[in-house]
Amino acid sequence: MPGTIAPPDIELIVENRRVGGGGGRPPDGGDGGDDDYGRRGRGESPSPRRFSTGIAIGMVSILMFFMALASAFLVLRHNSGVWVTVRLPWILWVNTAVLLGSSLILERARLRLSHRDVSGFRKLWMVTTVLGFLFVAGQLVAWRQLVTQGVYIASNQASSFFYIFTGAHGVHLLGGVAALLFVLLHNFEKSQVSVSLAAEITSYYWHFMDGLWIFLFVLLYLGK
Amino acid sequence: MVTYDSGANQPDTPQGRFTSRRLFAADHKTIGLRYLWLALFSVFLGMAMSLVMRIHLVWPGVHISFLPVLGSTPERYATLPLLHGSLMVFLVLTTAPQAGFGNYFLPLQIGAREMAFPTLNLFSFWATVVSLLGMTAAFLVAPQTGITLWIASVSVFCAAALCTAINFAVTTIDLRAQGMTLPRLPLTVWAWFINAILGMLIFSILLAACLCLLSDRFFSTHFFSAVDFLASQPASTAPDALPVLWQRLFWFFAQAEVYIAMLPCFGIVSHLIATFSRKPIWKERLVVLALCGVGLVGFCVWGQHMFSSGLSPFSPLVFSVLASSLGLPAAILLISWFGALWGARIQFNTSFLFALGFISLFLSGGLSGIFLARSDIASASVTEDFVTGHFHLIMGVAATFAILGGLFFWFPKLFGRRMNELLGKIHFWLTFAGVYCVFMTMHWLGLVSHSAKNPGASLTAAAGWIVPARSFITAGILITVLAQGIFLFNFLWSLFRGERVEECNPWRATTLEWSVASPPPQDDFGAHEPVVYRGAYEFGLHGVAEDFIPQDVAPDRVVKAN
Repeated sequence: MPGTIAPPDIELIVENRRVGGGGGRPPDGGDGGDDDYGRRGRGESPSPRRFSTGIAIGMVSILMFFMALASAFLVLRHNSGVWVTVRLPWILWVNTAVLLGSSLILERARLRLSHRDVSGFRKLWMVTTVLGFLFVAGQLVAWRQLVTQGVYIASNQASSFFYIFTGAHGVHLLGGVAALLFVLLHNFEKSQVSVSLAAEITSYYWHFMDGLWIFLFVLLYLGK
Repeated sequence: MVTYDSGANQPDTPQGRFTSRRLFAADHKTIGLRYLWLALFSVFLGMAMSLVMRIHLVWPGVHISFLPVLGSTPERYATLPLLHGSLMVFLVLTTAPQAGFGNYFLPLQIGAREMAFPTLNLFSFWATVVSLLGMTAAFLVAPQTGITLWIASVSVFCAAALCTAINFAVTTIDLRAQGMTLPRLPLTVWAWFINAILGMLIFSILLAACLCLLSDRFFSTHFFSAVDFLASQPASTAPDALPVLWQRLFWFFAQAEVYIAMLPCFGIVSHLIATFSRKPIWKERLVVLALCGVGLVGFCVWGQHMFSSGLSPFSPLVFSVLASSLGLPAAILLISWFGALWGARIQFNTSFLFALGFISLFLSGGLSGIFLARSDIASASVTEDFVTGHFHLIMGVAATFAILGGLFFWFPKLFGRRMNELLGKIHFWLTFAGVYCVFMTMHWLGLVSHSAKNPGASLTAAAGWIVPARSFITAGILITVLAQGIFLFNFLWSLFRGERVEECNPWRATTLEWSVASPPPQDDFGAHEPVVYRGAYEFGLHGVAEDFIPQDVAPDRVVKAN
C-alpha cells in the first residue's frame, strides 16, 4: 500500500496499543492527554485500526444489500413472462469511464501523499472529488434520457430495477463523495486519525463503489 | 460508509446542558442499559398483546373495556399478531441479548473502555427507539398507512441493527486488551461476535427487501407487483415467481433471525453454567466452533421455510440436510453443558435455574424442529399450532430464559444490588410450568388437527378435548403473564431496596467485568490498564486459595492454598 510511510509534517498513527500496554505514549503526538479517551483516564485513544476494520465490515454489509437486489433481479428476469427490456442510455459508458478515472487519480493522489507532496495530493484529491460529482450528475442525465424515452420507474420491472440500482448506488456513492470532501476539508492536526489513514480508508470505499458500479452495469447490460 | 468517529461522548463542562447530556450520552454502559429498558417495555407490551389475542380467541364474547377505543374491526385483530411478533422478535429477542447485554458487557469483558464507534452506537439506539415508536404507531393508524409505517420502521430497525453489528465486530477485533487473545475470549464475547457477523449479512437483505416494498408502495415499481405476477403465470413454468421472491428474501432473513436471537443466548448460558457449576467449559474450542457452525448453517437454511412453495425438487433435499445438520453444533453445545454439570458442585440460584430452563426448552423445542426439518412432513403443512408451539418454545421462551438468567447474573454488576432469590425462584417455577403447559399443548393441538386431515382418521375421542385444550392454553398464558408481574416487582424492588453488593465479584466469576466496582465507574477500569493472563474459565482449580483465578491475575500474584 502506498501511503504508509509517514511524512514529517503529517503524523501517522502507529499501532502501539498492544505493545505499549499501560505505559504507551499517546499515539497522537503528545496532546493525546486531553483527547476524549484521555480524559477517561487512559492517555491513549483506541487503535485507529478500527476505522479500516469498520469500513471493511461495512462494505460486506453493503455488498449483501446489493446482492439481495441483484438476486431479486435475476429471479424476476428468469421467471417473468412480461419482461420489457430497457435500452441503457449511452451516457452510462461515459459515467463508467469517469468513475474509473476518478479511482485512478485517487491512487495517484495517495502516491503523492506518500512522497510527502501535500499540495499535489490536495490537487489530485480535488480532481477525484469533482469526478465523483460528475459521475452523480451523469447518472441524473441518464435518468433524464430515460424519461425523455418515456421510461419511468413505474413503467415495467426492468425500469424499476434500473432506477433502484442506479439510485441506491448513487446514494452510497454520495457517502463516498462526502468522505472525499471530509479528507479535503478536515483539519487533521488535532484529529485521532492522520490524513494518510483517512485517505487510505476513503480509497477502499471509493474503489469498492467503483467495482460495485461495474458489477451493476454488467448485470443491467447482460440482463436487458 | 466512512464513519469518522471522534468518540465525543464526554460532558464538556459540568454545567453542560443536562438534557442533551443525558439523551445523547454515548457511553456503552448507558446505551446498553437503555436497550435493556427498551426491551423490558417491549416485552410487557408484547405480552399484553398475546393476552388480548388469546382472550379473544377463547372467549370471543368477553369485552375488554379499553379495546373498543382502538376500534374493534377485524383488521385491528389481524394487526395484533403483527405487532406482537415485531415487538417480541425485533425489540426483545434481537435487542436484549445482543444490543442490551452486549453493549454493556462486551467492552468490559474484553478490557476495552468503549465501543469502537460510540457515536454510531448512539445513532443505533435512537434509531431503534424510532422503529419501536413507528411499529407501535402502525397499530393505531388506518391499515394501509399502518403497513407502510410498519415497513418503514422495520427498515429503520435494520439500519440500526447493521450499525450495531459493525460496532460489535470492530470492537471485538480491534479493541481487545493486552493479552486478550482469541482463545481467551469468554464465550459470551464469541457469541456476540459471531452474531454480529451474521446480523451484518442478513439485516442488509431485509433492508433491501423492505426498500423494494416501500418503493412498490410509493413509486409503483414492479418488484412484488400482482399484475406482473398474473401476467407471467401462463408463460412461466415456475408457478409463482413473485410471492416466492418476497418469501425468499424474507426467509433468507427470518430463518437466520432465529439464530440471531439464539446465538447470544448460547453464549450467556454457557457462561452461566461454567460459573455456577464451578467447572471449565468442556471442550471450549469445540464449543466456539459449534457457535460458528450455528452461524454458518443458520445463514444457509432459509429454503427450509419454502418446502410448500414450489422450489426445484432438489432444493428441499439440500435444505433438509442443512437444517438437520444444525443438530450437530446443537448437540456439541448440549454435550458441553451436560459435561460441565456432570459431577459438579452446582450453586442452584435463580440465574442458574434459568440457564437450566433454557437447556430444557431448547431440547424440547429443538426436538419438534427435527419434524419440521423434514421436507415431506413440513410440506404436508403441519398445522399452524405445531409451528407456533415449536418456534415459541425454542426462539421466544428459551431465549427469554437466557435473557432472564443473564439479568439475574449481571444485576449486581449493573446496579450494585442483588435481586431477591425467593421471588426469583417462584417466578422461575411458575414461568417454567406455564410455558410448558401453553406450548406443549399447542404442539399436541397441531398434531391432532393435522391427523384430522388424513382420510379415515378417527378423531372423535380427541375432538372433545380440543376446546378444553384451547382454554387450558389461555389459562396457562394468564398464569405465565401473572408470574411476570412477580418478576417486574422483584426487578423494581431490587433496584431500590435489593441487598447491596459491596464486593466486585459476588459470584466469584473470572471475566474482566467482575474486576471493577459494582456498578462499574464511568471510566470502567480507572487508571489501570487491564491485562489478561489466562483463559476465561479457570474454575475448579486445586492448589489455589479459591477454586478459580480471574483472567487479570498475573501468574506471580495467584494466591496459593495453605
